[in-house]
Amino acid sequence: MNDDQKIEKLKTFVPSENVAAPAPHRIFVTVAPAELTALLAKMKAELDTWFLSTISGVDKGEDFELLYHFGDTTGSIHVRTRIPKSDPRIPSICGVIPGAVLYEREIQEMFGITVENIPDPRPLMMSDDWPAGNYPLRKDWKFDRPAEVIPGGKK
Amino acid sequence: MKFNIPIGPQHPALKEPISIRLTVEGEVIRDADLRLGYNHRGVEKLAEEKSYVQNIYLTERICGICSHSHSTCFVQGAEKLLEIVPPRRGVYLRYLVSELERVHSHLLWLGVAGHEAGFDTFFMYTWRDREVVMDLLEMISGNRVHYAINTLGGVRRDIDEPLRQKILEGLKVLKARSEYYFKVGASEPTFVARLAGVGRLTKQQAIDLCATGPTAKASGVALDVRKNDPHDFYDEVEFDVPTADTCDVLGRTVVRIKELFESYKICEQILQKLPDGPVAVKAPRRAKPGEVVSRYEAPRGENIHYIVANGTDKPERLKVRAPTLGNYAATIEMLRHGYIADVPLIFAAIDPCICCAERSVEMIDARSGEERTLRFSDLRRMANERARTLPLQRNVEWPL
Repeated sequence: MNDDQKIEKLKTFVPSENVAAPAPHRIFVTVAPAELTALLAKMKAELDTWFLSTISGVDKGEDFELLYHFGDTTGSIHVRTRIPKSDPRIPSICGVIPGAVLYEREIQEMFGITVENIPDPRPLMMSDDWPAGNYPLRKDWKFDRPAEVIPGGKK
Repeated sequence: MKFNIPIGPQHPALKEPISIRLTVEGEVIRDADLRLGYNHRGVEKLAEEKSYVQNIYLTERICGICSHSHSTCFVQGAEKLLEIVPPRRGVYLRYLVSELERVHSHLLWLGVAGHEAGFDTFFMYTWRDREVVMDLLEMISGNRVHYAINTLGGVRRDIDEPLRQKILEGLKVLKARSEYYFKVGASEPTFVARLAGVGRLTKQQAIDLCATGPTAKASGVALDVRKNDPHDFYDEVEFDVPTADTCDVLGRTVVRIKELFESYKICEQILQKLPDGPVAVKAPRRAKPGEVVSRYEAPRGENIHYIVANGTDKPERLKVRAPTLGNYAATIEMLRHGYIADVPLIFAAIDPCICCAERSVEMIDARSGEERTLRFSDLRRMANERARTLPLQRNVEWPL
């Protein structure tokens, strides 16, 4: 299936202005968070997009933008969705793509996004004593190195 | 009765410290869990504060084995954002280094697989011959590991005619040696019997868990970015994507050996067709606002970088997904229902660097409940012990 056929197919799933192809082999689809899992299920069934490369999060100020990167045998499809920073919730896609769990855990701890119905909500990368409420990939997060305390050292 | 065994996480010689927690019943692994993050360096956050040129060298340091794959993935995306087209000679040399890197990575992996299977002669032979390709890389770039040959708009060093001849001669040697291993592997029934049936991952599991690279190819899934998404180079050379359908460590070995031959083929075509001209063009410092997704087939699978530009000389966001992370979900599935003694082999089969050093294992004796610390060498000895007492599987054939 080439790019044009894929775009044609995607336009039957979402309004046609939501599908863009800025470069060869790259198709971007925009979707509302509530319709995400339904779209991915349709894409998996009809476009064979079972291979999720990763999920990228981008801090856009007021919103978070999430991109679900799918690879297939003729290129890649990228599903874009936006969620407000004030209420960052996104449904889990593990029901459709079971391999997504590591990437969902990653966006959960890096951006403080709540992934609803995630099968495994533990943090992925951060240490056990990572302070709560610190989400490193948010733009307003700055790292301040805490003062070093040497056990038994000078006060 | 079930017991938990933690393996890892720390060892100074490991590139990637990782903690595996196994739930075992006797010798059989019932469940496995991975704990990551012992080597988390915050590269994505750091990249937002570095310029595009600095980020080439930052991304190169993500990995110690496939360093070139990350910097290539980054520059091929950044070049799109900066709206420059590298000259053909630069592109050819860039992917020449890519393929030579794949050769050195696969030879390294073959040695590790031989070592973990108790076939140390294989390990010593492959690593000796790996020096041939390491020397070639050093002659091309000046470095053995971090080649630093990529730059925005091309590559930083050119090759001359005597070096071109040397690379062709080196490839001849490597090809002959690889064919020899091919035969040695085929006539070595204990090696084949040790690998067959270990670390099973069915095709459906590979699809569900989004496995990538040789792990997926060994389960019959022919996904290869070079073929599916030829980034303005790979459609100019001829090669095949090898797959296997044995779904085990043997299949992953076969796929990697076959990929070696494909890489030699690509290298030879590059050197025969090598265009004349400059190797790089000058790149602007700032990129216009935009976004790009860059994909690259690293030796271990698909590598993807997503770069967002905001009009300055620094990226707004750089998202990196290395292939090993994509294979962790599949690894858990492979470990399940295996034996403790197969853990080194299964782990080695997805990533050559996890198992190449000694590692401390806390073992809980099932009868006394007593904990004792095992070194990785002891674990390997136990593995070899099991291989020796294994009934020889006469019906297993080397599928090459």
